[in-house]
Amino acid sequence: MMLRTPVPKRARPIEPAPIIESPPTGSDHHRQLAIYEDPPSADPARREPSHEPLQQSEHMLCTYQCRQMVKADFLDALSNAEKQVQDYQSQLAELSDNFRKADEERKTFREKLSYAEQELAAAKGREQALHDQLLKEVNDSHERLKKELESSAKLQTKLENEQNLRKKAESTAASAEDKARELEAKLGHISQSIEKEKKQLNNELVHLKRDSKFSISKITVDLEKMEFRAQSSEKEVELLRKQQEDLQSKFSQCLHQKSELEKKLTSLSFEDDSPKESDILVKHLQEELRNYESEVREARKLKSAHENIELIKEKLLEEKSRRERAELQLPKLHEYEFKINELEDELSAWKLMIQDIPGVSCRDDIRLRISALQKEVIDNLKKLGDVNAHLKQMEVILDKTQLDKQKTETEAVLAKEKADRLEAEVKRMNVMLSAVSEERNVLKTAIEDFKSKNEQAGGNASSSIMQIQELGSSILEREPYIKELEGDLFAQKEINAHQRDEIKSLHDRLNSEARRVKSLERENDRLRSEIFLLESKIGHGDFSAANTKVLRMVNTLAVGNDAKQTIEALQSELQRTKEKLQALEEYKSQSGNSGKMVDSYMSGKVAQLKEQIATLEKREERYKTVFADRISVFRRACCELFGYKIVMDERQRPNGIPVTRFTLQSIYAMNDDEKLEFEYESGNTNIVENSYTSTSEISQQVDIFVRKMNSIPAFTANLTVESFNRRTLS
Amino acid sequence: MASKTAAKDIITLRGSAAIVSEFFGYAANSILYNRAVYPEESFARVKKYGLPMLLTKDEGVKSFISNLNAQLSEWLEAGKLQRVVLVIMSMNTGEVLERWNFSIETDNEVVEKGVSREKSDKEIMREIQAIMRQIASSITYLPCLDEQCVFDVLAYTDTDVAVPFTWMESSDAKLIANPQMVKLHSFDTKIHKVNTLVSYKNDEEESDDEE
Repeated sequence: MMLRTPVPKRARPIEPAPIIESPPTGSDHHRQLAIYEDPPSADPARREPSHEPLQQSEHMLCTYQCRQMVKADFLDALSNAEKQVQDYQSQLAELSDNFRKADEERKTFREKLSYAEQELAAAKGREQALHDQLLKEVNDSHERLKKELESSAKLQTKLENEQNLRKKAESTAASAEDKARELEAKLGHISQSIEKEKKQLNNELVHLKRDSKFSISKITVDLEKMEFRAQSSEKEVELLRKQQEDLQSKFSQCLHQKSELEKKLTSLSFEDDSPKESDILVKHLQEELRNYESEVREARKLKSAHENIELIKEKLLEEKSRRERAELQLPKLHEYEFKINELEDELSAWKLMIQDIPGVSCRDDIRLRISALQKEVIDNLKKLGDVNAHLKQMEVILDKTQLDKQKTETEAVLAKEKADRLEAEVKRMNVMLSAVSEERNVLKTAIEDFKSKNEQAGGNASSSIMQIQELGSSILEREPYIKELEGDLFAQKEINAHQRDEIKSLHDRLNSEARRVKSLERENDRLRSEIFLLESKIGHGDFSAANTKVLRMVNTLAVGNDAKQTIEALQSELQRTKEKLQALEEYKSQSGNSGKMVDSYMSGKVAQLKEQIATLEKREERYKTVFADRISVFRRACCELFGYKIVMDERQRPNGIPVTRFTLQSIYAMNDDEKLEFEYESGNTNIVENSYTSTSEISQQVDIFVRKMNSIPAFTANLTVESFNRRTLS
Repeated sequence: MASKTAAKDIITLRGSAAIVSEFFGYAANSILYNRAVYPEESFARVKKYGLPMLLTKDEGVKSFISNLNAQLSEWLEAGKLQRVVLVIMSMNTGEVLERWNFSIETDNEVVEKGVSREKSDKEIMREIQAIMRQIASSITYLPCLDEQCVFDVLAYTDTDVAVPFTWMESSDAKLIANPQMVKLHSFDTKIHKVNTLVSYKNDEEESDDEE
């Protein structure tokens, strides 16, 4: 309120005109019009409403000057106020511009915020998706791990089953082996018992042979006796025959004389001149007749005896033929006895086997039982082989699955670790998100405050400016966090992509490994079948002509055996015939003509045997000459080619092992003592020390070439060269 | 040759060839005795591989086997021998009754480079002993050879091997039709691995025919 009576003026300070500056926002309250105010006493009067009209009258008492002054002051103040208003207006305009700018900035920041919120939401969503994916992958890996564990458990159970089967098979194989060993032991016992029985039977055979020999010798002696008797009876027969012939001749003479005498008697009977002489003659003749009759009787007796002798001779011949047949059949008898013994041995062995082998009642069952046992053993062995092969396959598969399991476990552990890491990252992201959301909320509240403040204050641009500045600074502070979040998101994306690639590659590797395992198993089966085929072919003896050729050593053993056997048989026959010849010749010398019948038979045989002997001896001579020729040619060739005369000698060591000794003498040797001796035994040649090899030069060479370098040809070649050099120089 | 070290012995190519050829000699003698190709009295007892072994006293057979062993040793050192087969045939009909098959796997690295291997002599002897016992016990399941038999030896070699003058190339491998086969143990010197297998004429068909 403008007062009429101005207050006594205060001395204006000597200052320049107050610079009216554009006021800062809301701070120029003291720049307003200096309004005259009643003195302080007036204020209390103002306060008292009863005093108000008095004061007004006082005021009305101010002068025109005062009014002018006041007017001037008022005008000044007005101008100043106007100026200030303008200033304030300009300031307001500036502030409004600033506010607009701040508003725009706020809007941009809001947009940025919303964009950041959207990105955050998207990141959250992506994180959630990643989280879900990770969870899925973790679950998948867990499931795979479970499956792998189940499969490994199944394989382990299978392995245990297979191991049990293998143990069973091994136990059956061990039991089969034990049975086989027992059978072998039994067979050994049986063979020992067979050998004992053989020895016993051999002894019995020896005794029987001795007995048979004795009996044969007895028979021979009896035969000889009979022969002698026959020979003596033959002699007697011949004597008697002679006597008979004599007697017959005498008898015929007597008959002739008798007829003559009878004639004479008849003639004499007519004459009767000298009866006494005729009686005497007759008597003589009668006596002679009686004698002749007695002789005739004797002759008849002799004839009967002769006939008996002839019968005895025939019997003797029959017995001889029987004896020869018996002698011929004696070796057969030996063979039959041997066969009988063998059969008896076999029977006893079969009986023992029947007793030992269970499930066998008769001889025919043994073969079947043994063949069945053999088949069982072979089948068991095959089964064992199959089981072993299957077990090895299973072991290989198990090893592979264990390796796969370990791999998957490590992968699962790695995946778990990754999942844990990802979860930690997710948590961190969540924490960051929560922090960001909190900050967003803070920012929202700040913005709302700012808005409310803007709405409330209206012209309070400075406060809005302050708030905007605060928002901008907080947004600037949050930018690195946002950048960090973006960087983490990007890194997370890369990690996820990398993990996905790794998982894909692992899957591919797993599939390829599984395919490889199957292919290897198929190849294994194929190779096994091939091996079986090849083994059967090897057993059969098949070969490929492209890689292999079959060589056969020239074998003269069969032929030699035949010849040897025939030679031996002929030689034994020759000996026997020689003995017979000797016996016959002795008998011949004793008897003379009595053995005519036997001589003719024996001589024929002897001639045959002599021819055979002659041919065999000729053949032997031929073989010997041919062999000698060939061996001498070979020896000469060896000597000329290698420079050594080789002498071969068969010896036997004290332990019974035969050893061949070779003595080599160089053709360039200075004297006969320079000889090398080697022993050859079953493919190994060893040098033998002698006086020549124990000399210093030779022993040195032996040490170098034979002992160190293990080469006898090098030693002999070196020695030949040295001897040649020595010879040529000398 | 083999020289003794602490637990394992060094085996050279030559030593391994000698071991295998010696084994074949004793195995052939054992087969001839057990299958009664030659009479019992023509064999003499010796000690080998920790067992009483029987060696023929017949000079012809002895010289045949010793010449055979020398040639086999040579082929083994060259790494050219694949298989040795001892064939038992009927003397009258010439029919092959048994085939004793000794197949040999050679480590070519040893042949080419001349390196040596390590294996205990005792273990090798144990392995050979087991085979000899099996040959002796084979009479329990092999059919009886009632008729007089002869034997022959075939060698399966590489195609580039020169044929010695006491040998000849044979187109007839003396096979048995539908044989029964029994696989015996094998032994390994780390340079040569010898697998033994006997195939014999199926006796069941004959026994069925007889029945």
